[in-house]
Amino acid sequence: MEAHDAPGQGLGSAAKRLGAKALQRPAGRDERAWVRRAQAGSASDFEALFRAHWGPAYRAAYLVVRDAAAAEDIAQEAFLAAVRALDRFDRRRPFGPWLHRIVVNRAIDWARARALRPEAEAVDVQAPEPPERDDALLRELDRLSPEHRAVIVLRYLLDYTPGEIAELLELPRGTVNSRLRRGLDDLKDRLR
Amino acid sequence: MTYRAPHEHEAGERAWEVVRDAYETREPLTWPRRHARPLVAGALIAAVIAAVLSPPGRSVVRSFRKAVGVERAEPALFSLPAPGQLLVTSPQGAWLVRADGSKRLLGRYRDATFSPHGLFIAATRENELVALDPKGEVRWTLARPGPRFPAWAGTRTDTRIAYLSAGHLHVVAGDGTGDRTFGPAAPVVPAWRPGSGHVLAYSDGERAMVLDADTRVVILRLRLHAGTWKLAWSSDGRLLLALAARGLRIFEPTGKLVLARNSESRPFVDAAFEPRTHRVVALREYGFQSEVVSALTGRVVFRGTGTFGQLSWAPRRHWLLVTWPTANQWVFLRTRPSRRIVGASRIASQFGGFARVSGWCCAR
Repeated sequence: MEAHDAPGQGLGSAAKRLGAKALQRPAGRDERAWVRRAQAGSASDFEALFRAHWGPAYRAAYLVVRDAAAAEDIAQEAFLAAVRALDRFDRRRPFGPWLHRIVVNRAIDWARARALRPEAEAVDVQAPEPPERDDALLRELDRLSPEHRAVIVLRYLLDYTPGEIAELLELPRGTVNSRLRRGLDDLKDRLR
Repeated sequence: MTYRAPHEHEAGERAWEVVRDAYETREPLTWPRRHARPLVAGALIAAVIAAVLSPPGRSVVRSFRKAVGVERAEPALFSLPAPGQLLVTSPQGAWLVRADGSKRLLGRYRDATFSPHGLFIAATRENELVALDPKGEVRWTLARPGPRFPAWAGTRTDTRIAYLSAGHLHVVAGDGTGDRTFGPAAPVVPAWRPGSGHVLAYSDGERAMVLDADTRVVILRLRLHAGTWKLAWSSDGRLLLALAARGLRIFEPTGKLVLARNSESRPFVDAAFEPRTHRVVALREYGFQSEVVSALTGRVVFRGTGTFGQLSWAPRRHWLLVTWPTANQWVFLRTRPSRRIVGASRIASQFGGFARVSGWCCAR
């Protein structure tokens, strides 16, 4: 068990419900084959790569920014970055973490920028959003800072280990652990 | 239990169209290109240094350096970066610009607008509404006092032109017959709602009126910011944008306000829906800077010194034209699949004054 699990174990489970089955990661071998064939020009393999990763990427962006239009832009931009870098992509490395690094970093940037834009009203142009599950948890998640939200999303939605999160966000492992601990503690206090 | 974010599936389908387009049009990296890159980069750096040495060009270059991905600013408008043709007006009159860069002066008209399929043009002069073909030959005229702001919509066989005359809204059939007068209207180009029927939005100065021009029934009245000067529908006719310097509002056809952006410190100069989406880009000004931003996310797409004039989307292909009077340039931004920026200089000398874009129409 990781050190961060202890203080918010119950909440960790609740948060984990958000991610349960949400991330059906493709087997590494499938993914490497898709990347290889997509590099060779196979549109169907590129589509398989897109379909496998769109959901987790969009959900991660949405849970950090809490704005559907922005999440769509962020996830789409990440895939466009993937297209631009496809030929240089090292097939020995997993595609998901590389994509999620872009998504989560951009989502954090966007959420920070929004916090600095008081003139913009938070009204979404799209149709009213359907009710969400785990409403209370999501609402409280929204009150965390983007940095804390991001590590919780990576840990409990995308199932990365703290070590992987540290690598993804280029943070010391201790910082990731402390953000997880702090984030879960805050959630626990608010949900009490 | 599986968590799904709102609109996940629809967003994925929209994104897939864009991403697939990017994938299909990508240029695989080849060995010679890898080696050519440092040479191109060197040439660009040399060009930038040379430009910076010229004091008049300094501020413009500084702006370009802030914008990611500028590839070149042509010394003239040699061609359009996307299919279609541009209709513009300048102090000399109305011009038609084809994709290959050829230009035709249609005549001394104040305003101009394309017919729905770009086959004809409606234009105004002192006391006449005029229909022209693309060679500038007059097909019909309608004498009315001081007609302004024509807008043409409809199908290939049944079209209407809305325009303002003597402070009232008028609607006339595409063959110049059956002119009808409606209520008082403020000087804002009427906006036809895409889709079936002849429904348009116009401003009476305080409210946007959504009107069925066939039955004369006002379907909706929407409260507007004072000084609202632009109305525009999304391509699917499901959203109506109303723009004033101090705020941007987007309404559903039911009248429900779904987006409001206020901007006291950074007034809005223009805004437009991206074709076939509900995304809106807006142009804002602050201090000596102007910027193109996503109205939804606030993300800056492009920034420059001085004043930007207008935004105009290409009918397809994600190209956005930003007019930049301060730099005497038009800047074409490709937003997808990958960002690209192309500038065209010396606009005023090519059109006898800085040209205002009336439409970018109809890639065939």
